[in-house]
Order: sequence, then structure tokens, then C-alpha cells
Amino acid sequence: MLRYLARRLALALATTAAVVTITFALVRAAPGEPFTAGAEEHFVPPETVARLRERFGLDRPVGAQFVRYVANLARGDLGESFARHRPVADVLRDALPNTALLGLAAFLLSFALGLLVGVVQAARAGTWTDAALGGAALAFYSVPAFWLGLVLLLVFGEWLHWLPVAGMADPALRGSLSAAGRALDVARHLVLPALTLALVNGAVVARLHRAAMIEALGADFVRAARARGLGEGRVLLRHALRSALAPAVTLAGLSVPALLTGSVLVESVFGWPGMGRVAYEAIFARDYNVITAVAVVSGVLVALGNLAADLGVAAADPRVRR
Amino acid sequence: MTDHPTALPRAARERAAPPCPALVPAALALAALLLAACAERGGGGGAGAAGGTLIVVTAGDADVLFHPSGAATTSADVAGLIFSRLAELPFDANTVDEAGFRPGVARSWERDDSTTIVFHLDPRARWHDGAPVRAADVAFSFEVYRDPAVGSRFGPNLAAIDSVTVRDSLTAVYHFARRYPEQLYDATYHTKVLPRHLLDSIPRSRLAASAFARSPVGSGPFRFVRWDAGASIEVAADTGHFLGRPGLDRVIWRIVPDPAAAASALVAGEADAVEIVPQAEQRARLRAALDIRLVRYPSNGVAYIAFNLRGRGGRGAHPLFGDRDVRRALAMAIDRATVVRSLFGADSGAAGDVPIGPTAQAQWIWSDSVRQLPFDTAGARRLLESRGWRDANGDGVRERNGVPLRFELLLPTTSRARNDAAIIVQAQLRAIGADMRLLPLEFALFEQRSARKDFDAAFQSRTLDASPASVLQLFGSEGVRQSNYGSYESAAFDSLARRAIATPTRAAALPLWRAALETLNDDAPAVFVFSPPFYAAVHRRLEGVRIRPDEWLATVAEWHVPPGARIQRDR
Repeated sequence: MLRYLARRLALALATTAAVVTITFALVRAAPGEPFTAGAEEHFVPPETVARLRERFGLDRPVGAQFVRYVANLARGDLGESFARHRPVADVLRDALPNTALLGLAAFLLSFALGLLVGVVQAARAGTWTDAALGGAALAFYSVPAFWLGLVLLLVFGEWLHWLPVAGMADPALRGSLSAAGRALDVARHLVLPALTLALVNGAVVARLHRAAMIEALGADFVRAARARGLGEGRVLLRHALRSALAPAVTLAGLSVPALLTGSVLVESVFGWPGMGRVAYEAIFARDYNVITAVAVVSGVLVALGNLAADLGVAAADPRVRR
Repeated sequence: MTDHPTALPRAARERAAPPCPALVPAALALAALLLAACAERGGGGGAGAAGGTLIVVTAGDADVLFHPSGAATTSADVAGLIFSRLAELPFDANTVDEAGFRPGVARSWERDDSTTIVFHLDPRARWHDGAPVRAADVAFSFEVYRDPAVGSRFGPNLAAIDSVTVRDSLTAVYHFARRYPEQLYDATYHTKVLPRHLLDSIPRSRLAASAFARSPVGSGPFRFVRWDAGASIEVAADTGHFLGRPGLDRVIWRIVPDPAAAASALVAGEADAVEIVPQAEQRARLRAALDIRLVRYPSNGVAYIAFNLRGRGGRGAHPLFGDRDVRRALAMAIDRATVVRSLFGADSGAAGDVPIGPTAQAQWIWSDSVRQLPFDTAGARRLLESRGWRDANGDGVRERNGVPLRFELLLPTTSRARNDAAIIVQAQLRAIGADMRLLPLEFALFEQRSARKDFDAAFQSRTLDASPASVLQLFGSEGVRQSNYGSYESAAFDSLARRAIATPTRAAALPLWRAALETLNDDAPAVFVFSPPFYAAVHRRLEGVRIRPDEWLATVAEWHVPPGARIQRDR
């Protein structure tokens, strides 16, 4: 097992190193200059741009920049944001927990919705209920998340006034709320962006789970359970559902990075101060250090996720370790 | 007068927590919520007997709150309330008539001679930490803004100021290299007074990255309270401010990048104001909202199609646009009034929407009577034919010596108005046999190619300074290496603009500016297509709202919410 773990760790490290190298090279090869994002608002003299390039080491050869970046990275220093004039680590520290909260809520909600819809569809396979839920799932899967977000925002925020339309908390109430009040405030702000992501992701879960449930419901062990006189609900939930969960669990592992990266536009629509917006603004401003750091962090998270999944599978099935 | 017919329903809505569907199904998520909530700091300004709360929606976060280094619009807005100038520009943004300037940190000023202005500081002026504002702060601030290590974008605006000296603790003296009319403007407008006692020990190159830049101490009407990165920034009234207590208790910037969501935040009562509502459909939504009113104010923006008079990369003459008559013909073929009507619909129609040149209504040189090339397609055709451009092969595009009258227009994908306008202009040019091909580019690439002069024509947009000297930067010979991307050079224009800039009074300068703009229009180095109408959206409960075009929150200390119109967040 130790050898297997070492092998997987080495692979994770190699993946991360590749992400760093490729991202570093690509962002610098992309056309466009840092420090000119606001050029139409106010002219930035070339000499000012030159001074800024010098200050951030961009006047050096790309190879030398890379060596310096890797050396700093090895010490845990992600550099300084060109646009925000602060350590990139601080920028990520502010944004990452917010994205994690949104991603976690969307993840849980999408699987709760997806599994429920999949079970109902399978139980009512071939009926109007199945067709209606399948059509709805297909519709949510087909629409862009940002468009769905705008619709939800319009309906539940602007028309019905049930939920706040933007931000992560009401800044006007911050000083006056207790910790529980602030948690509730964050939860209210979380509903629409999480629901937006969950509806899109949940549609995939539902479609997959419906197929798995239908297959399970036709299996011998289900027929045997029915033959023993068990109720349909018990057959469905105790026997078929348990058997059909495996593909959904696999999908869950694959969904985590997708939820993190898929939140870019949703964060913009709802003004959610997360990694997606940080990445989007960094790309627009050619903030190389932030772009690279976001890619590194995402790469590490994916590598760790894969590592955890591999180890889990290996623990369950010793043949995999060979 | 309280003009707030729906104040009670809105207040009731804000007081009552809306039903919250149980959509966070797991204890893990709830725990994360509690952690997130507990991580937030407490404190903050509360509603007092006077004032109210203004929540401003803004598209982007601030970068830093250290004014010399701030590049983001939100940074300028926030720093504008936290820090003070020596004196404030008149409301009409007249940069040359000194009598209109209003006291700031300086309560008065006088001249020793034509190259020296002596500022007498208000002895009541205090930093938000209680320390007095002194002349040494003024001299220090000037040095910071001009220091190459700081790299302030305002530094070049101070080039005509030799030095700032301290005569006594309340007297700062500005020494200019030469005599010119905008001395007071240059001395006061570009810089804010910075606290030397808090910044002197920080290396200049690290000022923007210092803790001060994220938690500043100023001497303006509002003091810094908190900044939640990516979410909001809050400032609170300095109740003991030396120029009087601001009318509002606090101002909060709420960051909402999506324009449709920003409009929803206003309609839903989650925000009170936005600087500009750029899209007609969002303006229509806001007009229909009972609590919101739109305030039109003079635009300081101009969008124009710049012709590259030189070849790609700035070498030689451009095969098409090196010819003045071709440029004039293209300019005459564009019906800018139609473009403006198509873009802005019912919101268009003001004279300022069709620019008279590289200027806008917010600049004091604006005049409806400046001569421009007429919209005259027959004249445009004649002009092209006189230069040998004919459609010999009948494909709808003119040629000369086998070269088609075809060119590429760069435009940024980020600007919907310019993309829409370009399509209309393309059709109008097609009608005279000119084939303009559109090349939308991501903004950074658009800017890079423009700066490198790697284009035929580029759909530029500029937010103009209050000073009309920006006209010379955009089209003067001295700007060719900078923001004069089209490389237009005219000794006549340069001379007229320089004389206008050197003329001490508005009345005497206006005819010179008019002549300079007419020279430019005759040469047609660009087509000035539209000046976007500026509409701010403001909640109706706010009173005293006036908007100075160059700095929309410049008068926010005068805004207030009458007691009868206040809602929960105002109290």
C-alpha cells in the first residue's frame, strides 16, 4: 500500500508541476499587456508601464521569471497581484472559502435533487411523470447556468422579493446581526446561486441515476425481494437504490472540480465574491500571478481529489494496488 | 419634500426576513455557514439622528484605497470620499476660472507671482485619527504622487509643478515651471492630501501594498470602516468634519459585476444608486421601478473611429487613410444621428449625444456651434470618385489601381454599444462602396494592437478629464507616441490647441478651441460617433442629489435622506 501511495503522490506532484509550467507559459504567451486594463478610463504612460513591469520582474527573460516563480512557489510564496497590489495568497484566502461554500451547497443540493428525481422517474418509468421530469432535467441541463441564474434572480429576487439578488451578505446589516443572524443572512444569499448550479448539475445526476435505478429494478435480487412480499417502497429504497448508488458516487467525485470551475459566471451574476470572479478579473487584467495561482490551486485540488478517490478504491479493492 | 410613495412597503419588506426555503440540506453546509459568519468582524457605523445609508452598486472591486496607485473606478470613488483635495473644482468643471474653485483642506489661496500659488490650510482640518492636517502633509503628498517608485498615473499631470515647499505649518507653496491658466487645477485636482505621519516610514515602492492602502486614514468627509474583498466597502460619516457633517451616515459600495443583476438589486431595494446605467433595456426597467429615478448628467465619454494615418506599426502612410479626402468621404457617409438614435433610443436626442470632436458635454469647451463635416452621401461619393475610387467590377466595393476600398475596424468585445454602432456604420459605408470589416477583440488584445498602431481603424472610447488639454493628448503631435493611436499630426491644430490651453479665461479660450476642433474635423483623423448619455439611477428617498460629471460622488456629502423617508438601513 505504501508503494502504491508513493506512486500516486508522485503522479499528483507531476500533474501539479505540469499545471504550473503550462499555465505559466500560456498566460505569458497570450496577447495583451498587464497594467492597461483601464486604458480607456485613464491613459497609462509607457514609462509607467515599463516601471511596473520592472517592479514585478516582467522585464526579465521568461525563463528567468519561471525559475524565480518556482523558487518562490517552493517557499509557499505565490507572488503579488499586479492589479490588487497584495499577496496572491491573501487574494485566494479571501475568495476560496466563499467558492467552497457555494460549491459544497450546490454539490449537496444537486445530489439530493438528482437522486430524488432519478428515483421517482425510475419508479414511474414510461409514465407522464417520468416524461415531465425527464424533460425538465433535459431543459436544465441544456440552459446556460448564467441565464438560469438571471431568470431565478428576476423571479425570486426582483418580482417575488423572497430572496436577495446579489452578494454574500447584506452589507448594511452586518454590524447589527448576531453570529446566527449573519449565518442566516449568508444562507439566504446562498440559495439562488447554489440553486442555479444545483439545477444544472442535478439534471445530470437525475439522468444518470434514472438509468441506474431502472437497471437495478430489473435485477434478480429485486425480483427476489418482491417475491418475498416486500412492499414496493422498501424494494425501491432499501434494495434498488443502494445498488444504483455506485454510478452516482463516481459522478460525485468528478463533479467537485466542475462545480468549482463552473461557478465563474454564476459568481458574476450573483456578485458572489469567490474564486471564479477572481480568475475572471485576473484574466481580463492579465494579472499573471493570480491566473497562475488559481490554476495551481485548482490543479492541486483536482489532484488531491483524484488521489483520495484512488486511495479509496485501492482500500476497497486490493487488486488495484498492483 | 419626501418623495417616496412606497417607503412603507419597502421598509416592511426589509424588516421581515423572507421565507427561506430549506435548501441547505446537510449539517456540513450549515456548519460552514456558521464558520463563515463567525469569521466576519463586527462593528460598523450605525444610523444616527441625521443622515441615512447610501448603497452604491458597482461592477468591480477596488484595487487599493491608496489614491496615488488606485486604477479601478471603485477605488477612485471610495478614495474620493476618504481623502480631501486642497480645493475642489467648480460644479461646471471649468478648469481655468479660478474664482469658481471651492475650499477643501485649503481655506484660501493667493499668488506671490505668476508661477507661485500659496495655499493657506484650514486649521480645523484633521486626519481621521485626530492629527491635524499640516503643510508638510501637502508637500509630502506632492512628492509621493511624483515619485517614479510609486508609479502614480497622476504623476505626469504634475510635470509643470517644480516643487511644493512649506512656509509654515499651515502654508504650502506651489512653484510652477511656467505660467499657464490651469495652474490651480493642476495643483489641486489630481492629488489628494496624504497623511505624512502614517506614510513617511513606508518605502515608496511598497505604499500601494501597505496595510494603509487597504485601511486608509484620510481627512475627507467620510472615514474608512471596512472592506470585504470582492463584496463590499463601507465608509462612515466623519461627524466632526471641518467642512461640516455629511448628510449621510454611511456609504456602502456593493460589488455586482452583472449589469442586469445590478439593475435587479436597485429594483429589489437592495441598493440605492449606480453611477451609469449603460444599457437602454436596464434604463427602461429602472424607469418602471417606483422607487428609482434616473438622473441624466453631462457625459464625459466619447467613442470614435480612429483612422490609422500611418501604415501598420506606424511606418509610412496608410494606403487609404493617408489620404485626407478618403477620410473625409468616409466621415461624411456616416449618419451619426441615426447611429445614436439606434443605440440609445428614447434616451437619445440631446445635442451632446453626437460629439463635436474629441470632447464631451462635461468639458467646458463644448459648443453646439462647432463646424463639422455634414452627413452627405452624395458628397462622399463625389469625393471618392474625384480621388479615383470607382466600382469598376460592380461588386459594390470601390477600387483604385486594383486596390479595393476595404479596411478592418478593431473593436473591443466588452463594449456592446461600439459593437452595435459598428454594424450600423458598416452598412452606411457599404452604401458608398466602402467595405469595412469588423474585428472584435478581447479588450487587452484590442488595447495592445491599438497602442502598437497595428490597425487600419480602431473604435476607441475615452473617458475625458475635466481639462480640455486631453484633446491635445489624443490628437496632438506630442501624443503620437502615447494615446494618439492614429498618428494624426497637424501643425495648425497643435498651434491652435496650445494657444487655447495658454489662454487665461474661458471667454478668450473658447474661440481658439472652436477653431482647433474645426481644424480637426476638417482633417477627419477620426469619426466621433457617439457620446454615451450618462444616466445615474438613484433611490427616490435620497435628496440633495447633484452629480458632477467628472466625479459623480463629489457632492455626496450633501446628499441626505429626510427622516420621514428612511428605511431600515437608514436607521
